[in-house]
Amino acid sequence: MKRTIIPFGPQHPVLPEPIVLDLLLEDEKVVDAIPTIGYIHRGLEAMVDRVEFTEMGFVVERICGICSFMHGMGYCLAIESIMNVEVPDRARWLRIIWAEISRIQSHLLWLGLGADAFGFENLFMHCWRMREEILDIFEKTTGGRIIHSVNRIGGVRRDVSDSELIAIVAKLDELGKAFDKTAKVFASDASIRHRLSGVGVLSMANARAVDAVGPMARASGVRMDTRLTGQNLYDQLEFEPVLETAGDCLARVVVRMREVRQSIDLVHQMVAKMPKGDGLPIETKVRGMPSGETFTRLEQPRGEVVYYVKANGTKYLERFRARTPTFANIPAMIKLVKGCDLADVPNIILTIDPCISCTER
Amino acid sequence: MDKAAFLARVGEYHENGWRLAIINATTVPSPDEATPGVFEISWGFAKDLEFETMRESVTTADEVPSVSEFFGAAFLYENEMRELFGINVTGIGLDLQGQLYKTSAKIPFSHAAVKARLEATAAATAAASGKKA
Amino acid sequence: MANPFRLPMAPRTIRNLFSKPSTRRYPYEIRPRFEGARGTIKFDVETCNYCMLCARRCPAAAITVSREERYWAIEHLTCIGCNVCVEVCNKNSLSMSTDSKSVHTHAEVGPQGQRPGHEEWHGPDPVIAAPAAAKV
Repeated sequence: MKRTIIPFGPQHPVLPEPIVLDLLLEDEKVVDAIPTIGYIHRGLEAMVDRVEFTEMGFVVERICGICSFMHGMGYCLAIESIMNVEVPDRARWLRIIWAEISRIQSHLLWLGLGADAFGFENLFMHCWRMREEILDIFEKTTGGRIIHSVNRIGGVRRDVSDSELIAIVAKLDELGKAFDKTAKVFASDASIRHRLSGVGVLSMANARAVDAVGPMARASGVRMDTRLTGQNLYDQLEFEPVLETAGDCLARVVVRMREVRQSIDLVHQMVAKMPKGDGLPIETKVRGMPSGETFTRLEQPRGEVVYYVKANGTKYLERFRARTPTFANIPAMIKLVKGCDLADVPNIILTIDPCISCTER
Repeated sequence: MDKAAFLARVGEYHENGWRLAIINATTVPSPDEATPGVFEISWGFAKDLEFETMRESVTTADEVPSVSEFFGAAFLYENEMRELFGINVTGIGLDLQGQLYKTSAKIPFSHAAVKARLEATAAATAAASGKKA
Repeated sequence: MANPFRLPMAPRTIRNLFSKPSTRRYPYEIRPRFEGARGTIKFDVETCNYCMLCARRCPAAAITVSREERYWAIEHLTCIGCNVCVEVCNKNSLSMSTDSKSVHTHAEVGPQGQRPGHEEWHGPDPVIAAPAAAKV
């Protein structure tokens, strides 16, 4: 029985995110894993002492490139709740439309990376080609492909005309059809099934014990989704969280694929329900300084994100904290990695959808 | 802080099926030179659609017990609190001994560091407005 | 157990043999950017009245203005493309064009030590009298 220690990361050909895991192996089985983060730690939360709260939104949305829209939205929602700002309806609908499109983009990115991790590069390219359509939608409506800068305290900065929204819905439908063909490959290809089925099984009891969030928990049958609280106009939409019971890597792939379909359906509902007309207000002017503290929760593509903002009446916030879903899922990942083969480690790490930029801020 | 009562309440949350959502620390600057600065620590628990928090105020001299015996996932938050804030958390389940973040400036959120940053910003804005006006 | 002889990607793969590639041959083919895309800031020195609002509101501190010397400068590589300066300018001197920022391959330094991506203008006397010194 030979014991070796392999340092996995921060640079590794198969690892898309710079996490460092020191793996303790006995022959080919992993016995223990010790995480270190900090390769991407930029100290963004310490910038509240240098950047005024009106401009902190730009810093917050640059925490991560994939989850950028929801970070900006969460920060603005937190400050608006402290200052009791009433955001116009059209702005609130536009925000959640962009948020759901951002979710589609994030899941497509992950599906591509997942395929690349076990060597299926062809599928990786197909997923990312579909993702380009979404990035074009973002560039047309917000001005940027990855960093959008459309959220402002009190509303949004750009409006999207009704005809443009109908065109977006049509494009998403086309994307949905192309996506269905790719989804069939994920679900039925024999090599994918070999690599993912039965790997990294997280039972429902274990998912609760390690406090997993997001698709990680939903694939084990835990019905957890922050959108069910009904805030941010989600109480006017009909949807049911996507659940699977198997709890292995394949179940997590299926959950994310079904969520892409669900998001396309949600955008349909939103565009149908939002107030129509040109020239509706999209922003309320905000004056004064915030004072107070709040916790705001949102559902990012990777799970539940908790924002804590504390303000003390000056133009610099006292504390801003983003507890991102990957931070909450790292203990679940470590639990899964123990006892698996070395070849399965990259698949398991990828299956929590790691976003280390968000985790380390 | 009363450690036994605190752990009893955390145990109750665990028994009733709540999930640990966040442990956050805030550096509260002290209003004058005499009083020592405090850290406000919030423990956030979530269950179904609800979210509740517990709050304690501690100084660097106080010992904060770890909640790892109830919520195994707490080790990340507590290691971070120790490394970035200098709060003395005892009994963490997986203790990474200061190796989690590896920042070049140690304890970046201590009271001294936060005060230095705020003063530097005030000096920079004063210089900029003096030059521009 | 899935049938190993089922090949769901086969029709797509065969179709790919006979269709043109999805990628563009950049830099020989460039897709024009969409209207409203964020690019570089353009400045019109004739209309500026040196109120300095843009420099105060820039989150990245990329703009430097001096009222006495009639000097306006922007560091393109520091600019984050947030558009706040365009929105606050009440003389419409600033606009966002869709040109991508140019790449600087050497650390070329200007005659007075300016960084790459630095662009400055020296203006004539402003068209209207400068307003009274505004509060910060």
